[in-house]
Amino acid sequence: MVAWAKEGHEAAFRELIRRYERPVFALVYRMVRDRALAEDLSQETFIKVLNALASYNPDYKFSSWIFKIANNAAIDHLRKKDLDTLSLDGAPDADTPEALKATQLQIGSGGESPLDEVASRELGGAIERAIAKLRPEYRACILLRFVEGYSYEEIADVMEIPLGTVKTYIHRARNELREHLADRRPETPPARGP
Amino acid sequence: MSDLTMQHLTTEELELWAQGLLGAARTMHLTECTLCLAEAEQERRLHLALAQLPLFAPRAGFADRVMAQVKVPKTSGGFRA
Repeated sequence: MVAWAKEGHEAAFRELIRRYERPVFALVYRMVRDRALAEDLSQETFIKVLNALASYNPDYKFSSWIFKIANNAAIDHLRKKDLDTLSLDGAPDADTPEALKATQLQIGSGGESPLDEVASRELGGAIERAIAKLRPEYRACILLRFVEGYSYEEIADVMEIPLGTVKTYIHRARNELREHLADRRPETPPARGP
Repeated sequence: MSDLTMQHLTTEELELWAQGLLGAARTMHLTECTLCLAEAEQERRLHLALAQLPLFAPRAGFADRVMAQVKVPKTSGGFRA
Protein backbone atom coordinates (compact mmCIF):
# COMPACT_ATOMS: atom_id res chain seq x y z
CA MET A 1 0.00 0.00 0.00
CA VAL A 2 2.85 2.40 0.83
CA ALA A 3 4.57 1.58 -2.46
CA TRP A 4 1.31 2.29 -4.28
CA ALA A 5 0.98 5.61 -2.46
CA LYS A 6 4.56 6.50 -3.38
CA GLU A 7 3.58 6.05 -7.02
CA GLY A 8 1.09 8.86 -6.59
CA HIS A 9 -2.22 7.08 -6.11
CA GLU A 10 -4.50 9.18 -3.93
CA ALA A 11 -6.62 6.13 -3.16
CA ALA A 12 -3.60 4.54 -1.50
CA PHE A 13 -3.12 7.60 0.70
CA ARG A 14 -6.74 7.41 1.74
CA GLU A 15 -6.46 3.70 2.44
CA LEU A 16 -3.46 4.32 4.72
CA ILE A 17 -5.49 6.93 6.59
CA ARG A 18 -8.47 4.58 6.83
CA ARG A 19 -6.31 1.78 8.25
CA TYR A 20 -4.54 3.85 10.87
CA GLU A 21 -6.85 6.75 11.81
CA ARG A 22 -8.58 4.83 14.62
CA PRO A 23 -5.53 3.34 16.37
CA VAL A 24 -3.49 6.53 16.00
CA PHE A 25 -6.35 8.68 17.26
CA ALA A 26 -7.08 6.29 20.15
CA LEU A 27 -3.44 6.32 21.26
CA VAL A 28 -3.19 10.11 21.12
CA TYR A 29 -6.60 10.61 22.74
CA ARG A 30 -5.67 8.43 25.69
CA MET A 31 -2.36 10.24 25.98
CA VAL A 32 -3.72 13.82 25.98
CA ARG A 33 -7.32 13.13 27.15
CA ASP A 34 -8.78 15.92 25.04
CA ARG A 35 -10.77 14.99 21.93
CA ALA A 36 -10.22 18.16 19.90
CA LEU A 37 -6.53 18.25 20.71
CA ALA A 38 -6.16 14.54 19.94
CA GLU A 39 -7.75 15.12 16.56
CA ASP A 40 -5.39 18.02 15.82
CA LEU A 41 -2.33 16.00 16.83
CA SER A 42 -3.52 12.96 14.87
CA GLN A 43 -4.12 15.12 11.82
CA GLU A 44 -0.64 16.64 12.13
CA THR A 45 0.78 13.14 12.43
CA PHE A 46 -0.82 11.93 9.21
CA ILE A 47 0.11 15.08 7.31
CA LYS A 48 3.72 14.77 8.44
CA VAL A 49 3.91 11.07 7.62
CA LEU A 50 2.16 11.23 4.26
CA ASN A 51 4.14 14.26 3.09
CA ALA A 52 7.36 12.43 4.00
CA LEU A 53 6.37 9.16 2.39
CA ALA A 54 9.17 9.45 -0.18
CA SER A 55 11.71 9.10 2.63
CA TYR A 56 9.98 6.09 4.20
CA ASN A 57 12.28 3.09 4.69
CA PRO A 58 10.34 -0.08 3.82
CA ASP A 59 12.62 -2.13 6.09
CA TYR A 60 10.78 -0.47 8.97
CA LYS A 61 7.13 -1.19 9.76
CA PHE A 62 4.87 1.61 8.54
CA SER A 63 2.70 1.26 11.64
CA SER A 64 5.76 1.67 13.88
CA TRP A 65 6.71 4.82 12.00
CA ILE A 66 3.30 6.44 12.28
CA PHE A 67 2.91 5.46 15.95
CA LYS A 68 6.35 6.93 16.64
CA ILE A 69 5.37 10.28 15.11
CA ALA A 70 2.01 10.23 16.92
CA ASN A 71 3.51 9.30 20.27
CA ASN A 72 6.21 11.97 19.95
CA ALA A 73 3.54 14.57 19.17
CA ALA A 74 1.56 13.59 22.26
CA ILE A 75 4.60 13.43 24.55
CA ASP A 76 5.89 16.78 23.24
CA HIS A 77 2.52 18.34 23.93
CA LEU A 78 2.37 16.94 27.48
CA ARG A 79 5.91 18.13 28.25
CA LYS A 80 5.16 21.58 26.87
CA LYS A 81 1.97 21.74 28.94
CA ASP A 82 3.94 20.87 32.06
CA LEU A 83 6.40 23.70 31.34
CA ASP A 84 3.54 26.14 30.77
CA THR A 85 2.04 25.37 34.17
CA LEU A 86 5.24 25.41 36.23
CA SER A 87 5.52 29.07 37.15
CA LEU A 88 3.68 30.28 40.24
CA ASP A 89 3.62 33.72 38.63
CA GLY A 90 1.68 32.53 35.61
CA ALA A 91 2.89 31.74 32.12
CA PRO A 92 5.95 33.73 31.02
CA ASP A 93 4.14 35.08 27.98
CA ALA A 94 1.10 36.25 29.94
CA ASP A 95 1.13 40.03 29.49
CA THR A 96 -2.19 41.04 31.06
CA PRO A 97 -3.58 40.52 34.57
CA GLU A 98 -6.29 38.33 33.08
CA ALA A 99 -3.77 36.09 31.35
CA LEU A 100 -1.70 35.82 34.51
CA LYS A 101 -4.75 34.86 36.53
CA ALA A 102 -5.77 32.28 33.96
CA THR A 103 -2.39 30.57 33.98
CA GLN A 104 -2.14 30.74 37.78
CA LEU A 105 -5.43 28.90 37.99
CA GLN A 106 -3.94 26.01 36.05
CA ILE A 107 -1.29 25.41 38.69
CA GLY A 108 -3.60 23.79 41.18
CA SER A 109 -4.94 21.36 38.63
CA GLY A 110 -1.91 19.09 38.72
CA GLY A 111 -1.14 19.76 35.09
CA GLU A 112 -4.38 18.20 33.86
CA SER A 113 -6.66 20.46 31.90
CA PRO A 114 -10.35 19.97 32.68
CA LEU A 115 -11.80 17.24 30.52
CA ASP A 116 -14.57 18.27 28.21
CA GLU A 117 -17.90 16.60 28.68
CA VAL A 118 -17.38 14.01 25.93
CA ALA A 119 -13.91 13.06 27.12
CA SER A 120 -15.12 12.90 30.70
CA ARG A 121 -17.81 10.44 29.69
CA GLU A 122 -15.61 8.42 27.33
CA LEU A 123 -12.54 8.25 29.56
CA GLY A 124 -14.32 8.08 32.87
CA GLY A 125 -14.11 4.32 33.43
CA ALA A 126 -11.90 2.89 36.15
CA ILE A 127 -9.29 1.50 33.78
CA GLU A 128 -9.22 4.72 31.73
CA ARG A 129 -8.68 6.76 34.88
CA ALA A 130 -5.96 4.38 35.99
CA ILE A 131 -4.23 4.70 32.61
CA ALA A 132 -4.47 8.48 32.87
CA LYS A 133 -2.57 8.42 36.16
CA LEU A 134 0.44 6.73 34.58
CA ARG A 135 3.50 8.69 33.49
CA PRO A 136 3.15 9.44 29.75
CA GLU A 137 5.98 7.06 28.85
CA TYR A 138 4.38 4.24 30.85
CA ARG A 139 1.01 5.07 29.33
CA ALA A 140 2.36 4.84 25.78
CA CYS A 141 4.06 1.51 26.52
CA ILE A 142 0.98 -0.05 28.08
CA LEU A 143 -1.30 1.14 25.27
CA LEU A 144 1.02 -0.11 22.55
CA ARG A 145 1.44 -3.44 24.32
CA PHE A 146 -2.09 -4.25 25.42
CA VAL A 147 -4.29 -2.24 23.06
CA GLU A 148 -2.27 -2.41 19.85
CA GLY A 149 -0.68 -5.78 20.61
CA TYR A 150 2.89 -4.68 19.91
CA SER A 151 5.82 -6.81 21.01
CA TYR A 152 8.34 -5.37 23.46
CA GLU A 153 10.85 -5.07 20.58
CA GLU A 154 8.38 -3.13 18.45
CA ILE A 155 7.63 -0.78 21.34
CA ALA A 156 11.35 -0.17 21.75
CA ASP A 157 11.47 0.79 18.06
CA VAL A 158 8.46 3.08 18.26
CA MET A 159 9.60 4.85 21.41
CA GLU A 160 13.31 4.78 20.57
CA ILE A 161 14.25 3.42 23.98
CA PRO A 162 16.20 0.28 24.92
CA LEU A 163 14.34 -3.01 25.20
CA GLY A 164 15.21 -3.23 28.91
CA THR A 165 13.62 0.16 29.49
CA VAL A 166 10.43 -1.01 27.78
CA LYS A 167 10.30 -4.03 30.09
CA THR A 168 10.85 -1.83 33.13
CA TYR A 169 8.18 0.68 32.06
CA ILE A 170 5.62 -2.04 31.37
CA HIS A 171 6.40 -3.81 34.64
CA ARG A 172 5.93 -0.59 36.62
CA ALA A 173 2.89 0.48 34.63
CA ARG A 174 1.25 -2.88 35.11
CA ASN A 175 1.87 -2.76 38.86
CA GLU A 176 0.46 0.76 39.09
CA LEU A 177 -2.61 -0.19 37.08
CA ARG A 178 -3.22 -3.24 39.22
CA GLU A 179 -2.89 -1.13 42.36
CA HIS A 180 -5.34 1.46 41.03
CA LEU A 181 -7.80 -1.26 40.11
CA ALA A 182 -7.30 -3.12 43.38
CA ASP A 183 -7.91 0.11 45.34
CA ARG A 184 -11.42 0.11 43.99
CA ARG A 185 -12.19 -3.43 45.09
CA PRO A 186 -13.71 -4.18 48.48
CA GLU A 187 -11.24 -7.00 49.05
CA THR A 188 -7.61 -6.48 48.17
CA PRO A 189 -5.65 -9.70 47.50
CA PRO A 190 -2.59 -10.15 49.76
CA ALA A 191 0.80 -8.94 48.51
CA ARG A 192 3.09 -11.71 47.30
CA GLY A 193 6.22 -12.39 49.35
CA PRO A 194 9.76 -12.66 47.98
CA MET B 1 7.12 -31.35 43.14
CA SER B 2 9.58 -30.50 40.35
CA ASP B 3 11.76 -27.35 40.33
CA LEU B 4 9.53 -25.88 37.62
CA THR B 5 6.46 -26.29 39.78
CA MET B 6 8.07 -24.76 42.87
CA GLN B 7 9.42 -21.53 41.37
CA HIS B 8 7.22 -18.41 41.61
CA LEU B 9 5.93 -17.18 38.27
CA THR B 10 7.82 -14.28 36.70
CA THR B 11 6.07 -11.16 35.44
CA GLU B 12 6.34 -12.44 31.88
CA GLU B 13 4.86 -15.78 32.90
CA LEU B 14 1.95 -14.08 34.64
CA GLU B 15 1.27 -12.16 31.44
CA LEU B 16 1.41 -15.38 29.42
CA TRP B 17 -0.93 -17.09 31.87
CA ALA B 18 -3.45 -14.25 31.59
CA GLN B 19 -3.36 -14.72 27.83
CA GLY B 20 -3.76 -18.48 28.17
CA LEU B 21 -0.30 -19.08 26.73
CA LEU B 22 1.63 -20.40 29.72
CA GLY B 23 2.83 -23.98 29.50
CA ALA B 24 1.22 -26.68 31.61
CA ALA B 25 4.32 -27.32 33.75
CA ARG B 26 4.48 -23.72 34.96
CA THR B 27 0.72 -23.39 35.25
CA MET B 28 0.83 -26.26 37.75
CA HIS B 29 2.61 -23.91 40.17
CA LEU B 30 -0.65 -22.01 40.60
CA THR B 31 -2.27 -25.05 42.15
CA GLU B 32 0.39 -25.00 44.87
CA CYS B 33 1.02 -21.28 45.47
CA THR B 34 -1.77 -19.02 46.71
CA LEU B 35 0.47 -15.95 46.43
CA CYS B 36 1.11 -16.48 42.72
CA LEU B 37 -2.53 -17.36 42.21
CA ALA B 38 -3.57 -14.02 43.71
CA GLU B 39 -1.04 -12.26 41.45
CA ALA B 40 -2.29 -14.19 38.46
CA GLU B 41 -5.91 -13.27 39.17
CA GLN B 42 -4.95 -9.60 39.42
CA GLU B 43 -3.12 -9.92 36.12
CA ARG B 44 -6.16 -11.52 34.51
CA ARG B 45 -8.42 -8.73 35.75
CA LEU B 46 -6.02 -6.17 34.29
CA HIS B 47 -5.90 -7.95 30.93
CA LEU B 48 -9.68 -8.16 30.85
CA ALA B 49 -10.04 -4.48 31.65
CA LEU B 50 -7.52 -3.52 28.96
CA ALA B 51 -9.12 -5.84 26.41
CA GLN B 52 -12.48 -4.15 26.96
CA LEU B 53 -11.20 -0.63 26.30
CA PRO B 54 -13.47 0.99 23.73
CA LEU B 55 -12.25 1.86 20.24
CA PHE B 56 -12.19 5.54 19.44
CA ALA B 57 -12.37 7.26 16.09
CA PRO B 58 -11.89 10.85 14.99
CA ARG B 59 -14.81 12.87 13.64
CA ALA B 60 -16.17 12.02 10.21
CA GLY B 61 -14.22 13.65 7.39
CA PHE B 62 -10.84 13.12 9.03
CA ALA B 63 -9.33 11.72 5.82
CA ASP B 64 -10.56 14.71 3.81
CA ARG B 65 -9.07 17.13 6.31
CA VAL B 66 -5.74 15.32 6.15
CA MET B 67 -5.72 14.99 2.38
CA ALA B 68 -6.39 18.71 2.00
CA GLN B 69 -2.89 19.26 3.37
CA VAL B 70 -1.05 16.37 1.75
CA LYS B 71 0.88 16.63 -1.49
CA VAL B 72 0.31 13.50 -3.53
CA PRO B 73 3.34 12.89 -5.77
CA LYS B 74 2.78 12.71 -9.50
CA THR B 75 4.09 9.60 -11.15
CA SER B 76 6.42 11.91 -13.15
CA GLY B 77 8.13 12.92 -9.87
CA GLY B 78 6.37 16.23 -9.27
CA PHE B 79 3.57 16.90 -6.80
CA ARG B 80 -0.13 17.70 -7.08
CA ALA B 81 -2.20 19.28 -4.34
